[in-house]
Amino acid sequence: MRSRFAAILGDRRAVVGALLLGGFAVLALFGPLFVGDAGAAVDVPLSPPSWRHLLGTTGQGQDVLAQTVVGARLTLGIGLVVGLLVTLFGVILGVGAGYAGGLIDDAASVTTNVFLVIPGLPLAIVIGAYLPPGPVRLGIVLTLAGWAWCARVFRAETLSLRAKDFVAAARLAGEPHWRIIAVEILPNMASLVAASFIGTTIYAIGAQVGLEFLGLGDLGAVTWGTNLYWASNDSALLTGAWWTFVPTGLCVALVGFALTLLSFALDEVTNPRLRRRPRRGPVVRATSRPTPPSATEALVSVRELTVRYAGSELPVVDHVSFDISAGEIFGLAGESGSGKSTIGHALLRLLPADAEIDGELRVAGADVTALEGEALRRWRWRDAAVVFQSAMSALNPVITVGEQFVDTLAAHGQGSRAAARARAVELLAMVGVDGRLVDAWPHQLSGGMRQRVGLALALALEPRLLVLDEPTTALDVVVQREILERLVELQAKRGFAILFITHDLPLLTSVATRIGILRDGHLVELAPTEQLCRAPRHAYTRLLLSSFPRLPPVAAKRLQVLP
Amino acid sequence: MRYVLRRLALYAVAAWASVTLGFVLPRLMPGDPATMLLARLRGKLSPAALTAMRDALGFADGSILRQYVTYWRHLLHGDLGLSVAYFPVPVGEVIGTGLLWTLALAGSALLVSFSLGTLFGALAAWRRGGWLDSVLPPALALLGAVPYFWLAMLALLVFGHVLRWFPLGHAYSLEREPSWSPSFILDVARHAALPALTLVVATLGTWMLGMRNTMVALLDADFIKLAWAKGLPPRQIMLRYAARNALLPNVTGFGMALGFVLSGSLLTEIVFSYPGLGYLLVQAVRNKDYALMQGLFLLITLAVLAANFLVDVTYVWLDPRTRAHA
Repeated sequence: MRSRFAAILGDRRAVVGALLLGGFAVLALFGPLFVGDAGAAVDVPLSPPSWRHLLGTTGQGQDVLAQTVVGARLTLGIGLVVGLLVTLFGVILGVGAGYAGGLIDDAASVTTNVFLVIPGLPLAIVIGAYLPPGPVRLGIVLTLAGWAWCARVFRAETLSLRAKDFVAAARLAGEPHWRIIAVEILPNMASLVAASFIGTTIYAIGAQVGLEFLGLGDLGAVTWGTNLYWASNDSALLTGAWWTFVPTGLCVALVGFALTLLSFALDEVTNPRLRRRPRRGPVVRATSRPTPPSATEALVSVRELTVRYAGSELPVVDHVSFDISAGEIFGLAGESGSGKSTIGHALLRLLPADAEIDGELRVAGADVTALEGEALRRWRWRDAAVVFQSAMSALNPVITVGEQFVDTLAAHGQGSRAAARARAVELLAMVGVDGRLVDAWPHQLSGGMRQRVGLALALALEPRLLVLDEPTTALDVVVQREILERLVELQAKRGFAILFITHDLPLLTSVATRIGILRDGHLVELAPTEQLCRAPRHAYTRLLLSSFPRLPPVAAKRLQVLP
Repeated sequence: MRYVLRRLALYAVAAWASVTLGFVLPRLMPGDPATMLLARLRGKLSPAALTAMRDALGFADGSILRQYVTYWRHLLHGDLGLSVAYFPVPVGEVIGTGLLWTLALAGSALLVSFSLGTLFGALAAWRRGGWLDSVLPPALALLGAVPYFWLAMLALLVFGHVLRWFPLGHAYSLEREPSWSPSFILDVARHAALPALTLVVATLGTWMLGMRNTMVALLDADFIKLAWAKGLPPRQIMLRYAARNALLPNVTGFGMALGFVLSGSLLTEIVFSYPGLGYLLVQAVRNKDYALMQGLFLLITLAVLAANFLVDVTYVWLDPRTRAHA
């Protein structure tokens, strides 16, 4: 929490926002002491700015500067109070409903949704019209029209927190409900509460000014909204008396802007993803020794591959070299974080922008690190394709399975739409998926089916290298077996090479011809499968072989302690 | 279908709640405004008309339940009572023309700003750190913090009063007779341009930021990575893979912000003396015309509910996952 606070303070926008707000707070608190009576007529109506009246006078001859300064007090005061009220209401209702669940939650969420779809301003007017004017009326009306937004946010957050383990643990331990809410739930929503408070204050000031502009304010009081009401009523617009409404509006805008800046800063602190650097192609530093491709060269050749992320000293992959021959199944095994997936991604140039690649990568004679732009795009999928672990999320959810084949084939200029569709059916049949599913949506398929679709997609252009990044990890053992068998069968028939990446060494030994063992970015052992199983040279390999994966979770911890 | 039906049920409840609010409010509030209103009309109206007005406001004789039924009956016949501000025109008639102007102005402005904002947001996310991403969001955030109607006042001052590029208000030149002639339509367009532009500028930032942030999060998704690996053209990845998916939450956001944006546009109408619902609303408030106020509230709410329903249908059409459960 303290580091978040520091991060917010370190944000330039937050500083600007806070300074602006501080300035207005001082103005609202002490300004009225210096500007005299804002309500009194002091000069000729609508006189333009002069030395006597720095911002001119209103249609009633009042001093605009005085009106603007005095208006700040009530407007900001009501804004803050309503912001607090709405947030408080939202927290109580949202957290209460979300935590209670059941009928209470149903009733509360219907009520919230009803209030959400009823437009706020007309509702505020209809209710406000029956109440006596004054700050209390504004407070009631604005809170009634605004609480639902807040309640909705807090209810959703409570629901997700309630499902978390630590809340379940507290419930099992028999802690009283109020304690769980106070200790486990509310502290975890602190930044959300802060964000909501900023948001509702912006709303409260804006809506308040709007209602007063309509004439629903206390017309005898001096606030920013009534200033604007009188400006428009005195037809300042038609006479071009800009000074009657520009200063006030500017103040409203500046306060709103300052609050918006604060909420942006808060957003990025709580959601760092918004701040991260853009993803483009990775930075490539190819080693400066051009080696011409020779006829006898392996299909894949990796030389001294080093990958480093910007801002981190330690490379994720450290001087790794290996070859894959045509038609070979090559395995890379290692724990998560060992750098095995990074190698697979580097081979396909899929690393994020802040990754630096050093070394040499060749696939089927092409210098992968030298490819850029259109050449890179054309190269992709043709010689090297990939199947990701996450079949669930690797397909575009809004287009059909067939369309994802069609666009792939079209991107590489292969055939008409009809031909591409026919090819998709054929490819699906090849991996054992009913061709009729070509028109299905991804969400209609099971995990195993989707992974088969991913495999079929990878074979669409008959690549010479297939990178499989934990292709069966998310699946149950039976489905895993079926897919692997199909894969090996296809590989034998079509003769493509496979780079099989997994943490599951025993599984790997059943399919791969050669295996490399990765640890902390280093290739610690590289041997034919049979030799690796019979006489593993590295202690780490022995460990992986003997214990993985049927290791009870307790023993897994001990594994990290060993050399 | 189930999704759509569930939404419909919600809108039905919301509609019922707004109608009932119109019945309950005058009873709950201090000062008995309805009696005051009727007192103001006494003498101006025939006894029969006065009774009809009482019924429409829900103050018929008999038990509360009976009054409620009478109130509904009048409502379903389109009888919302007589307007005081536009005496003695029935509220339904007063509102009718205003609705058209508001729908045309706010509707077109909203569509334009949503499309543009979404497009800009997608581009900003795609070229993160580019000029579009670094210049527009803070500028639009500043504009978004400005009350719409004040922006309208500024626009009117600069482009209407000083530069004289646009007329100073109203929906068409008052000396003209409304017709479908090209010159009249052009005149209407000229009058709508400035208010519509103000609305577009004021709301653009909301859509743009929403789209940008969803899309930024989405660009890390596996199916985007796979799209790159497949060698798809970047434009296709941006539009068909990233933007198309990021659009979904943005459409939901559009539905939720409708009421809010509409409220802003009502205030903008007042600045331009645009003869829409906002302008009527101000007349109702200033004349304490409760019947007109309630009629406006009902109509605006129903319009927003209908628009929300359209958004839901669009959402179902856009997202195969909701379609499947249908």
